[in-house]
Amino acid sequence: MMLNKRNRRISKIVTYALLVIFSLYCIFPFIWMLISALKPKTEIRTATPTFLIQEPTLENFHRVLVDAGFLRYIKNSLFVSIAACLLSMVIAVMAGYALSRYYKLKAVKLSNLAMMLSQMIPGVLLLVPLYLIMQKLNILESYKSLILAYTTFVIPLCTFMMSSFFDTVPLALEEAAEIDGCNKAQTIFKVILPLSLPSLVSTGLYAFINAWNEFMFGYIFISTDEYRTLTPAIMLFKGVNTVDWGGLMAGSVVAVIPVTLIFLFLQRYFLAGLMSGSVKG
Amino acid sequence: MKTIKKLTREQRMKRTALFMLAPAIVFLALLIAFPLGKVVHDAFSHVHLINKSMSGFAGVENFKTIVSDEHFGQAVKNTISWTVFSVLGEYVLGMITAVLLNQKFKGRAIFRTCIFIPWLVPIIVAGMTWDWILNPEFGIINYALTSLNIIDAPINFLGDSRYAMATVIFVNIWRSFPYYTISFLSALQSVPGELSEAAAIDGAGIFKRFFCVTLPQLRSVSLVIVFIHIIWTAVNFDFIWVMTEGGPNYATETLPIMIYRYSMKKFDVGAASALSTMMFTIMVILFTVYYHKRSKLSDEMA
Repeated sequence: MMLNKRNRRISKIVTYALLVIFSLYCIFPFIWMLISALKPKTEIRTATPTFLIQEPTLENFHRVLVDAGFLRYIKNSLFVSIAACLLSMVIAVMAGYALSRYYKLKAVKLSNLAMMLSQMIPGVLLLVPLYLIMQKLNILESYKSLILAYTTFVIPLCTFMMSSFFDTVPLALEEAAEIDGCNKAQTIFKVILPLSLPSLVSTGLYAFINAWNEFMFGYIFISTDEYRTLTPAIMLFKGVNTVDWGGLMAGSVVAVIPVTLIFLFLQRYFLAGLMSGSVKG
Repeated sequence: MKTIKKLTREQRMKRTALFMLAPAIVFLALLIAFPLGKVVHDAFSHVHLINKSMSGFAGVENFKTIVSDEHFGQAVKNTISWTVFSVLGEYVLGMITAVLLNQKFKGRAIFRTCIFIPWLVPIIVAGMTWDWILNPEFGIINYALTSLNIIDAPINFLGDSRYAMATVIFVNIWRSFPYYTISFLSALQSVPGELSEAAAIDGAGIFKRFFCVTLPQLRSVSLVIVFIHIIWTAVNFDFIWVMTEGGPNYATETLPIMIYRYSMKKFDVGAASALSTMMFTIMVILFTVYYHKRSKLSDEMA
C-alpha cells in the first residue's frame, strides 16, 4: 500500500513535469513573439537576445498597422472570413439536415460519398483551374473569389459537424411541431436551430478560423493592396530587403489575437463539434 | 387513395432533400468536381498561362516533362520524408500528451488549452515565428545553444540544406500535433477507465497497460487521423513555401511546391496539371486502401 501511494505521487510529479514541458514547447513561440514585438530595433538586432525588454515600445505596432497598411488587411480578412463563415453555415445547416434526416434516399447517400471525397481533395491540386475559373468570372481581384474558395473547402467538414448533431435531435420533436401546424421551414427555424446553438457555434468557428488562417488562395488570387488579406500581407512584409523582425512579430501578434480570443471563450463548443465532424468524415 | 398519398409524401421528401443539398452540391460541383476534371484534361493537353497559342492534345508529353525534371526525384523523396516524419512525430507527441491529459488532476484544462493553441494560428505565423526564433544572427535558440556550448557556431537552420528539411518538419509537428492530442483525448474519454484499473490490479505495468489496453482502443481513431494527415501533409503548400520557398537549392522542394513552380512561375499549366493528376492518382489509391481497412476494422469491432 505504501509503495502504491509513493508510486502514485511519482506518477503525478512526472505527469506535471511532462505537461509543463509540453506547454512551454507550445506556448514559448508566442511569448517570444510578443516580447519581440515590444522591443525597439536595437534590442531586436542583437546577438545576445534577452527576455527582459529594456525599453518597451509600441513603435513596431504603429509601423505595421499604420505605415504598412495592416489595418486595411485586417479589415479585409475580417470581411472575407465573416462572409465565408456565414455562407458556409447556411449551406452546412441545409446539407447537414438532409444528410441526417433523409439518409435512406439514394441521392443523399451519393452526396455523402461525394463530400467525403471532396474533403480529401486539397486546394493546391486545383490551384490552376480555380485561378482560371476566377479569372473567367472576373472576380480575381476581389473578396468574392476568396469567399467562394474558402466556403467550398470547408463545406464537407461543416456539413458533417452539423449532420452528426442533427442525428441527436429526436424526430419526435419535429413531428410534434408538424402536428402543431409548422411547415418544414418553420420547424427548422423555430425548433431545430435554437437547439443547435452549440453546434452552430463550433461549425461557424471552424469556418471562420479556416478562412482567417488560409494563405495560398489569398496569396495567388489577390495581387492588389486593396483586397489583400492578412496572411499574404505578412509574407510580403517579410520580403522587403532586410527583414523587419520587430514589425513582422507585431503583425503576427495581430493575426493571432482574434483566433486565440475566440477559442479561449468558446473552446468547449469548438472542440466537441470538431471531433464529432471529423470522426464522421 | 392511400398509395397516392404515400407516393406524394415520398416525393415531397425527395424534393426537400434535394433542395437542402442543392447549394452544397453546386459549390462542390463548380469548384471541386469541375476543376478536377479540368486538371485531368489539361494534363493531356498543351496549356500555357501566357502563351495562349499553345493548345491541342499532348499525349503523355506533360508527364514526360515532369518526370524528366532534374529535381523531380528529389521532390518525391522530399515529399515522402516530409510526410512520414511529420506524421510520425505528430502521432507520438499527440499520443503522449493525450495519455497525460487523460488523468484527473488540477489544472488539466489550462494545460489542454496551452497545448491546443499552436493548431489555431495561421501557418504563416507559425512559420515566421519559428524562422525568427531560429534566426542564425539574432535568434534565441542559436544564442542559447552557443552559450550552453552545445554548438560552436550558430546554425543556419533554414538556410543550410543539411538542416532545412528537418527544421521545417519540426515546425510542422509543432503546429499539427495538437489535433492528434484532442482527437485521442476525446476517444480515450469515451472509454471506461475501469479497464485500465483492472489491468493495473492484475499487475500490468504502465507500459504494458498502455500497449495492451489503451492503444487498441485508439485503433479506429488512429486510422482516421493518420490517413487524413498523410494526405494533408503530403499536399501542404503553405508551410514549406513560407519558411523556405522550397530552398535552399531545392532541398525542401516537395511536389506541391513543384506544382506551384510549374504553374505560377513557368506558366506551364499542362505540366503542372500532369503532376497534380499523378498526385491525385496516388491519393485515390491511398483512399481505397484506407476505405478497405476502415470497413474491415468496423467489421471486427462489430
